[in-house]
Amino acid sequence: MKLHFKICALFIFLATPLQAGQDAIVVREAVVYSASSSTSQAVGKIAAGSRVSVFERKGGWKEVYFEQESIVGWVRGYQIREASLAPAMEAESGSDSRGFLAGLAAFSRKASGFFRSSNSTTSSGTATIGVRGLSEAEINAARPDYDELKKMQQYASNNVRLVEFRQIGQLSENNVKHLAADKKQAKSTAANRVSEK
Amino acid sequence: MNRNCRYSLILVIGLWFGGMGSTTALDFGELVDLGNKLKKIVSDVPVEEEVRIGGNLVSGLLGAAPLVEDPALQQYVNDVGYWVASRSSRSDLPWTFGVIDSDGINAFAAPGGYVVITLGLYNLLQNEAQLAGVLAHEVAHVVRRHHLIALQKSMRREFLTDLTVLAADDKKKGRKLENLVNAGVQLYATGLDREDELDADLRGVVLAARAGYDPFALLDVLTTIDSINPTAEELTVMLNTHPPIADRLNRLAERMDGRLDRFASGRTNPERFRRVALNP
Repeated sequence: MKLHFKICALFIFLATPLQAGQDAIVVREAVVYSASSSTSQAVGKIAAGSRVSVFERKGGWKEVYFEQESIVGWVRGYQIREASLAPAMEAESGSDSRGFLAGLAAFSRKASGFFRSSNSTTSSGTATIGVRGLSEAEINAARPDYDELKKMQQYASNNVRLVEFRQIGQLSENNVKHLAADKKQAKSTAANRVSEK
Repeated sequence: MNRNCRYSLILVIGLWFGGMGSTTALDFGELVDLGNKLKKIVSDVPVEEEVRIGGNLVSGLLGAAPLVEDPALQQYVNDVGYWVASRSSRSDLPWTFGVIDSDGINAFAAPGGYVVITLGLYNLLQNEAQLAGVLAHEVAHVVRRHHLIALQKSMRREFLTDLTVLAADDKKKGRKLENLVNAGVQLYATGLDREDELDADLRGVVLAARAGYDPFALLDVLTTIDSINPTAEELTVMLNTHPPIADRLNRLAERMDGRLDRFASGRTNPERFRRVALNP
């Protein structure tokens, strides 16, 4: 019954223009479960590249509908990606995954970097409008820039600033214990352990 | 044991190790014992020394790519990072964050509480929780002293000698410090152990949850990075220095499963994040 209701709701939804965030692409082959747990029954698989619709999210799980095979169920959230997001690769060519305006902001920053580098003695090879990254060669060839370090330290936050920041952001404190490592990691970190209070 | 006594012990152990000739034969038991002593040395490096080493390392990174000239952005990233770091066991470090002007997609940490994120990675993020997740991952590296341990491994005897020289304020200090910085900067190109990255993922999501953010946001970031063409130049260093993202995602999701669900409704603050991004 619940399944029928959701499929009916989907038909109504498809009759209206698609809204950002409701469509998603499966980025890696995903096993579909009947509930938001890997211990629940597996009801199918969806291949990478398939388009699905997302109903809701619960923890690290998202409930999806895969029209091609009429599968409704839960997949791990990281296995799908909002279809409304431009492919991240476009970031390389100057566009931005957060949309046109944010792309402009990014462009503006790159442009300011370009003009700064042409008018100052900063010897960085990265302050250009191009798409060069922080390559291994650049890291290895870099000379320490202590003036930039001082500048960086000027922006450091403090407990006074944090009060307003937390208040506006409605950020609460939670008590959460660290997660146990899996066997492979436990073995490795035991060998590297440095006491943490 | 007060700090001076403890550091004297470091010097003694350091000199003891430094004095061992390369021809000295060691059996396995001795090697294990030696390894434990070295780890103790790393955990006993005084905070001020750790900060000094970290400051030099991050200066190297800033030499490769300067800060983005946007005070509002830099302050915002510092506020997010400081809040996340304050939820760690090393909240007393002088935590300092920065966005560097690089289209590379990566973030780096240095001992003593320094964290930088490239503009390329920042521009891929969609909300404050994702930023918090990335910074929390780097904070975890600092808290666990992963870079100091890696330096100790890569430099072996020289690392100890350098630390002792730094402490003794020797005339050779400048040259030794340069060696240490070079080795540290090289570390940013070669990367940490894969298990250190996974350790930082696990610790990072918990720090984000402690700070009131949706801890699953880090998985969203990793998914985004994973969908980028692996041949992209910006990813070269990231892929060389981190384990396959699919591996990280699988293991992280498995460990989080059911344990952090109640924090999934944590804050993401996309509006505030967008406001800062739109005001360069």
